[in-house]
Amino acid sequence: MTLELQLFLLVWGTLVGLDLVSVPQMMIARPIVAGPVAGAILGDLATGLELGVLFELFQYDVMPMGATRYPEYGPATVAAVSTAHAAAGTLGLGLGALVGLVTGMLGGLSMYVVRRATQRAVQAVAGRLEAGDVRLMVRLHVTAIARDALRAAVVTAAGLALAHVVRLYFAGALPLRGVTLLGVAAVAGAIATATAGTLRVVGRGANLRWFAAGLAGGAVLVWLR
Amino acid sequence: MTRTRRPPLGRSLLRLFTVQGSWNYERLQGIGVGVAEEPLLRDLRAAGNGAVYRAAVARGAHFFNAHPYLCGLAVGAAARAEHEGATPDQIERLRSALCGPLGSLGDRLVWAGWLPVTSGLALIGVALGLGMDAILGFLVVYNVGHVALRWWALRAGWAHGVRVAAALHQPFLQRAAAWSGPAMALVVGAALPLSARYLAAGFTGWARGALVVAAAAGCALLWWGRGRLTGLRYGLALLAVAALAGWVWR
Repeated sequence: MTLELQLFLLVWGTLVGLDLVSVPQMMIARPIVAGPVAGAILGDLATGLELGVLFELFQYDVMPMGATRYPEYGPATVAAVSTAHAAAGTLGLGLGALVGLVTGMLGGLSMYVVRRATQRAVQAVAGRLEAGDVRLMVRLHVTAIARDALRAAVVTAAGLALAHVVRLYFAGALPLRGVTLLGVAAVAGAIATATAGTLRVVGRGANLRWFAAGLAGGAVLVWLR
Repeated sequence: MTRTRRPPLGRSLLRLFTVQGSWNYERLQGIGVGVAEEPLLRDLRAAGNGAVYRAAVARGAHFFNAHPYLCGLAVGAAARAEHEGATPDQIERLRSALCGPLGSLGDRLVWAGWLPVTSGLALIGVALGLGMDAILGFLVVYNVGHVALRWWALRAGWAHGVRVAAALHQPFLQRAAAWSGPAMALVVGAALPLSARYLAAGFTGWARGALVVAAAAGCALLWWGRGRLTGLRYGLALLAVAALAGWVWR
């Protein structure tokens, strides 16, 4: 993979990371968007779509409410696609999931660090904020957004570096059964996460019947195809 | 009372897209809300009330937390209340009172409704072979709802001021909140088997059996262990077990 492509992925991962919380929350941070675009950048849309679907299922575990800490799957999906690119079929799924989940964990941790840094910056100028200093307030806000952009860039870069290491040392070293098992683990983890996450939101009331109806409809479509 | 002729709602809306940019553990969305509200308060300064303007700006940046798409309701309402001469206590109470309802309504409407419905449809589209069209469709449809909700919230807040609670009882909001749960359950339910089929297309024989067992066990573990076990941890643990098993079972 050329340095130019890596830089494009870095820029895309940064935009994706910025979209999650800061600006503009138009959901390019969703894996179902981040993955295919990363795939298109690499000229490998199929891998992008596959990893996008996989991490979108993991995303159903997350309700981004208030001060809760949660993994960040946008830049993680970009790193996962970079890992899986050129690694055929199930090998790509397993290794991509591994890199993506580690990067997602790192992303969640980095958000906590950035929020603490912003908190310290706010505390340091609390008096001037109370005096209604508009310039300071805007500067604080813009600086915090820049801090989040830097965070997203660092997380994406770390994910891409991890992807490079995994491609280099693991891609050719796994036996066929190991490759298949990794792929099975990735898909099983994603399906279990999405099902349990959705059931938590659906609850035991009337919506559970709608969920069952949806499952049945989806199963019929699978059977018909 | 100071009344602006044509409030710069557009400028405020643009700033609302960054409302969570300075999210932190002390004021949460407070600074972002203050930044978004500031254009609506400039009339106070123009009217020669520099001190009133600065005090209003400072209040705007106090602690606030709600769903980001509905923050505009609080921004518009607080700014209108400032123009109508409400007391600082009234405005602080208004902001506090809005946090809970706007948070829970937004979570139900968007995070547990509109977003999973549209992303579930995108998953179905990809699984059925629509490819990038499904992704573009998701972005367009989701953001039509997203931007419309932000714009409505800001306008409604500005229109109602301290009586903004009335806006939250709009019939369309009640209907949308009532339908969001069933729609989400139906669409995500349908997306799950289709996505599973799409991702498992390369597996045959024993691998499919292992997939069903691991997914069912994971679902049970995540359901019973909620609060302690997350999808990310389960995924990583499963990958570690698979790597070990693959290394042993050559």
